[in-house]
Amino acid sequence: MKNRLEALRKARGIRQEELAAALEVSRQTIGSLENGRYNPSILLAFKIARYFGLAIEDIFIYEEGTS
Amino acid sequence: MKKTSIRWPLAVTLLGCALFAAGGIGRMAFDLELPAYVLLAAGCALFGGGLGDVLRRLALRSDPQLAKEVAIEEGDERNVSIANAAKAKAFDAMLLVYPPLLLVLALAGVEILPLLLVAAAYLFTVGVSIYWQARYRREG
Repeated sequence: MKNRLEALRKARGIRQEELAAALEVSRQTIGSLENGRYNPSILLAFKIARYFGLAIEDIFIYEEGTS
Repeated sequence: MKKTSIRWPLAVTLLGCALFAAGGIGRMAFDLELPAYVLLAAGCALFGGGLGDVLRRLALRSDPQLAKEVAIEEGDERNVSIANAAKAKAFDAMLLVYPPLLLVLALAGVEILPLLLVAAAYLFTVGVSIYWQARYRREG
């Protein structure tokens, strides 16, 4: 699933390590999320949206036919 | 927060020592074979696992920052997902390996008791899988 996570993180000047610590996940998970290799659980998606103060749909882009 | 008390892991370690000792005594003093070997193996497993857990908890207790990092790594949903997927593949492989292994051992003329032990271990593992499938279906 495509997402704007990397762009949002860099726009706020946050490193992957900092974002991972704030969300209580590993840095590798943040990296996998950003390059689309891993789709977050609904819980993690809500945490990310709350962290950035945005709606889930503003961060994660759902397209028909993608998993 | 992960438990840091070493009481239960220490108890498991001591139980492992006791089982190992019992197995040794059974083998040397009473000339038992299979029951003594089972006790020795169970003792080794419990001792090793228990002692490892004791040392791990002591290390984490002395370093709260490390404990937090370990807790994050262990609870990370992607790491958990990967570990569970790998365990599932390993379980599928076990289902393929165990039956031919039993057949090979039987054809090789291995005594019936060790064969039954291997069969019991196989059935126990499958039983654990069935139990947790049923429980997860009921819960979710």
